[in-house]
Amino acid sequence: MNTVLLECHDLVKVFPGVRALDGVGLRLTAGSVHALLGENGAGKSTLIKVLTGVHSPDGGTLAWCGEPVRLRSPLEAARTGIGVVHQERNLIPGFSVAENITLQKPPARRGLVDYAAMTEPAVACLTELGVDLDPDRPVRELSVAQQQLVEIAKALYTESRVLLLDEPTASLSPEETERLFGVVRRLAERGACVVFVSHKLEEVFALCDTVTVLRDGKSVLESSPLADHSHDDIVSLMVGRAHAAAEMRPRTVDRSAAPVLELSGLATAGGHRDIDLAVRPGEIVGLYGLVGAGRSELVKAVLGLDRITAGEVRVHGRPARIGSPRQALHEFGIGYVTENRKEEGVFLEQPIVRNITVTVWRRLARALGFVPPGEERAVAQDLVDRLGIRITGLSQNAGELSGGNQQKVSLAKWLAADTRLLVIDEPTVGVDVRTKRAFHELIWDLAHDGLPILLISSDLAEMVTLADRIVVMTDHRVRGEVDNDRDYDRMSGRIIRLIHDRDTVRS
Amino acid sequence: MSTIRDQQSRAAAALHRFSRTTTAMLLLVVVAGAVALEVASSGSFFEGPSVRVFLQYLATPVLIGLAQMVALCVGQLNLAVGALGGFTACLTGVLMADHGVPAPVAVLVGLLTATAVGLVTGVVIVATQINGFIVTLATMTILLGAQYRLVGTRTVDGYSATLRDLGTAAPLDIPLVFVTAIVAAVLLGAFMYRTVAGRRLLAAGGNPLAARLSGISTDRQIVAAHTLSGLLVGVAAVTATASLPGVNRSVGGDWLLPSFAAPIIGGVALTGGSIAVFGTVLAAFVTRLIDAARAQFSLDPSWVNLLIGLVVLGTVAGGHLHQTRLAKSTPAPQPGGAR
Repeated sequence: MNTVLLECHDLVKVFPGVRALDGVGLRLTAGSVHALLGENGAGKSTLIKVLTGVHSPDGGTLAWCGEPVRLRSPLEAARTGIGVVHQERNLIPGFSVAENITLQKPPARRGLVDYAAMTEPAVACLTELGVDLDPDRPVRELSVAQQQLVEIAKALYTESRVLLLDEPTASLSPEETERLFGVVRRLAERGACVVFVSHKLEEVFALCDTVTVLRDGKSVLESSPLADHSHDDIVSLMVGRAHAAAEMRPRTVDRSAAPVLELSGLATAGGHRDIDLAVRPGEIVGLYGLVGAGRSELVKAVLGLDRITAGEVRVHGRPARIGSPRQALHEFGIGYVTENRKEEGVFLEQPIVRNITVTVWRRLARALGFVPPGEERAVAQDLVDRLGIRITGLSQNAGELSGGNQQKVSLAKWLAADTRLLVIDEPTVGVDVRTKRAFHELIWDLAHDGLPILLISSDLAEMVTLADRIVVMTDHRVRGEVDNDRDYDRMSGRIIRLIHDRDTVRS
Repeated sequence: MSTIRDQQSRAAAALHRFSRTTTAMLLLVVVAGAVALEVASSGSFFEGPSVRVFLQYLATPVLIGLAQMVALCVGQLNLAVGALGGFTACLTGVLMADHGVPAPVAVLVGLLTATAVGLVTGVVIVATQINGFIVTLATMTILLGAQYRLVGTRTVDGYSATLRDLGTAAPLDIPLVFVTAIVAAVLLGAFMYRTVAGRRLLAAGGNPLAARLSGISTDRQIVAAHTLSGLLVGVAAVTATASLPGVNRSVGGDWLLPSFAAPIIGGVALTGGSIAVFGTVLAAFVTRLIDAARAQFSLDPSWVNLLIGLVVLGTVAGGHLHQTRLAKSTPAPQPGGAR
């Protein structure tokens, strides 16, 4: 029972600008269900990708049954005996359920696919999960939950000795989750090791017997029996100690001031219900939640990118109907610094000056839409100086800047437009610590000068550093609100509990 | 296990699924169009010579449509379909007429050249990571130049009489070139649906990341698709050489857009991962029917392009509408949606 199947030491994986893994150790023994825990961005998904040959590690050792191995591709990992269900959907939409399940090694004779031989093992895998699906049905016709089950069936088909499940229950119903747990336990009894990643601690305690906790790319708890730890132990390990609270100029918020933006009883076509939220002048309101809680979607709905089905949006006390981000900017002065700056926030192939002034061309434009280059440069230069963006010249392409500076350009664009409310989505994902610090100061100073800011972040430390109030969302609903006292331990505990209490209530 | 009843219900389900596809709709259009022409021509449309002419000119649209479809199925496109076809046809013709190369050898050289050009295109796309649109745009231009270099302004027609005879032969009023196209379609269909290699192509087109995670090299699939596309263009070029009165620099000049029209009308998505061999063949039938209708009613030739354009837009828009209606009519999938 205690054979070590897969073991790794000091794994390091570096992406440009971040050390995603920075010394991770893990020991997976046969017959166990191993929980892999950590906050958003702690490195869980990266670790899984390293263990399954998607990424190759930049340092550290990996051993399979005591022998050192190098996993150069997902196929090699699969041949070794490591199966995985990734967080992203990995099905071929046009293929049938059976063909997707058997994709890794389709039954074939002399190069011809044997469809008849495909059905039986596929149905066997589905039956094991207690799912009744027509194996001939194309996957694109299935619901999200059904697709998730097909993915799990696909992983079962490979008969791996180590099976990694990255958030497998995210879209499953309680009954389906229970059936999945049954399968996981059976696999473990048969001598496999199942690695289970979940944000739902209740599930973890119900299912797993060993645990590894990651924080900031390091393993802070390594393959330890779960029974030795309480719920609270694990939470504090996950959130860790407070990062030295940044020294900022003191800033007070007038709580009696009229809110600049107020949402009441808002519901959207995307599934949000009963959202109440207010942002006052000079206040930073944090919107915290796990990935998929619907925070960015909420903001996008407010900006007119999704339909609002009930409730009211008030800007400066007046009911507002915002039809597009363009209208939000020009009529209501709301700027949105997007999460995905590479795809949504910056024109990579355009010079910095044009990136910054894109929001004010209408104001600068003369007859026939001519934009005087001199004024354009003046506006841009002013912001480059104010935000301390490090560039070689205004005509440099935005794509050549570092991630942090790109994010600053994205922010400068909104400041140029004299926004009266700024929504900032995940400002410091993928930037190094120094840039992060500079960025925090920048956001702080903007609020200090009276700008109301709605901050979306999955980085709890960032929330505690910046926000005055933290609104916690899960499943497209507001679960509660916490006044920030800038004490990291206390705050993180209260917030994590707000998120996890729901699971206790539900299950 | 499988009782007759089981099989019947399966067949019924498959039929039901088929009835909702673009292919089913196209089949209906083809039958209805053919019947309408038959009535309008007071019974002469289904007569031997008429059928023969109809099918004779159908070979090229079918083959170039399939060539484009193969590129589309991995999420690529091939702008060089016409230029490669024209170049290959001229090369085959010049080899036979000017250099006295025997017809079988010339045909073989033509097929191999077209395949090799496809292979090189694919390798260049994968090696340089340059978008396939740009690479095939470049090969198209290069090949147009090469074609002009080969034949200049003349028409090469002094080549093998045997090949000519084969190109115009039509036992039972079914032209051999059309049979060639259909055989190519059947083989391609079998390859795509039945072989592991074909399924890899479709997997890589349908979800490149998932394919890679399942151990399928997407780069290899791109090369394979362009190679296969080149081979099909080669077949199209050979049938054109055989059935045309001669080859010159205008051969292939009007192939590019029809090569896109057939798969798109046939239900192939531009984003890759889907394929419709039968649909593409039927779509070529539809465009050919429009052409035949023009001849029947002595309409202005400009009508043909106008109608084909409308059919392309109509089918794509119709398919889109159908999909959204389906999505609305079926109840929203429940979180616990497994039956």
